[in-house]
Amino acid sequence: MNQTPTRPAPPMARQALEDRIAARLTSALTEYQASSMPADIDARLRFAHERALAAARLALAQRAPAPSVLGASGSAAVLGAAGGPSDAPWWLRLGSLVPFAVLLGGLLLIDNHYLRTQIDAAAEVDAAILVDDLPPEAYRDQGFVEYLKSSRP
Amino acid sequence: MPLSPLATDKELSDFLKSVEKRAFKRTAYTVRNDDAALDIVQDAMIRLAEKYVDRPPAELPLIFQRILSNATMDWFRRQKVRNALFVNLSDFEGADDDGGDFDLLELLDTSGNRTSTENAADSVSRMQVLKAIDAQVAQLPTRQREAFLLRYWEELDVAETASVMGCSEGSVKTHCSRAVHALAKALRTKGVTL
Repeated sequence: MNQTPTRPAPPMARQALEDRIAARLTSALTEYQASSMPADIDARLRFAHERALAAARLALAQRAPAPSVLGASGSAAVLGAAGGPSDAPWWLRLGSLVPFAVLLGGLLLIDNHYLRTQIDAAAEVDAAILVDDLPPEAYRDQGFVEYLKSSRP
Repeated sequence: MPLSPLATDKELSDFLKSVEKRAFKRTAYTVRNDDAALDIVQDAMIRLAEKYVDRPPAELPLIFQRILSNATMDWFRRQKVRNALFVNLSDFEGADDDGGDFDLLELLDTSGNRTSTENAADSVSRMQVLKAIDAQVAQLPTRQREAFLLRYWEELDVAETASVMGCSEGSVKTHCSRAVHALAKALRTKGVTL
């Protein structure tokens, strides 16, 4: 019985020994897993793998920038530029407001034209009444209005 | 700071291929149900692909381990056994045996015969050893096993392991040390050397 008492290993050596054993243990786990993985689990993991890749492609497609609205000629791509609006120069960002200005101007022109047409129509009626033989007061007479209605063919 | 390139389809595929089997095994150790483990791993892989595909490839391992840990915890929440799990965990932690005076060197086969050619009997014997190691890892307390597998099997560093587990680096070191000692002692008792 000639046993020498074991001296506790210094922390660095102890850590190194633990790391060495852990490396062998995990190597054994990897070996066991490779040799014992059931085929159905392998197949389901492959299926999950494919689903994950499909999800990644979909996510990337959804995050891709929208196609350019005015980019037919290439140089006029002011919306949906690849780098985003914040990367475009100021004059290009200002240029993106031009279509809205044109649209607003067009609406104002249409409204103005419609108003002028109404005014012209009212003026024509007024003029016709004023140059008629009947005085305008005649049209205020309810009996005369009824006479006009009943006398229409 | 220069931006790292984003993960390509192939890089993501290669990464998933490199981790999916270990992820399954690690989850199966925890939930002890192969079907549930497969669901959790699939869920984690899809979450990674959907939300973090634009991250550089170097960031994927840590992100994936975090997602997997969260997905596993979500599974336990859904199973309404979270409280029971942590009660059991604390029981295990309190009863930990860190090996005491056990000499780790006793587990290592220092004869230098590890690389010799194996015959059929050796192969069977080797498989039994691997199975014993797998069983002992499965019997480790959950936190010790998580720390051990993340640190040494997934090869995360101590800080990354602590980040995934939500604990301090000191706790990771303690869990890993205890796990190695517990495994070494249990395997030595069974006559297993590495």
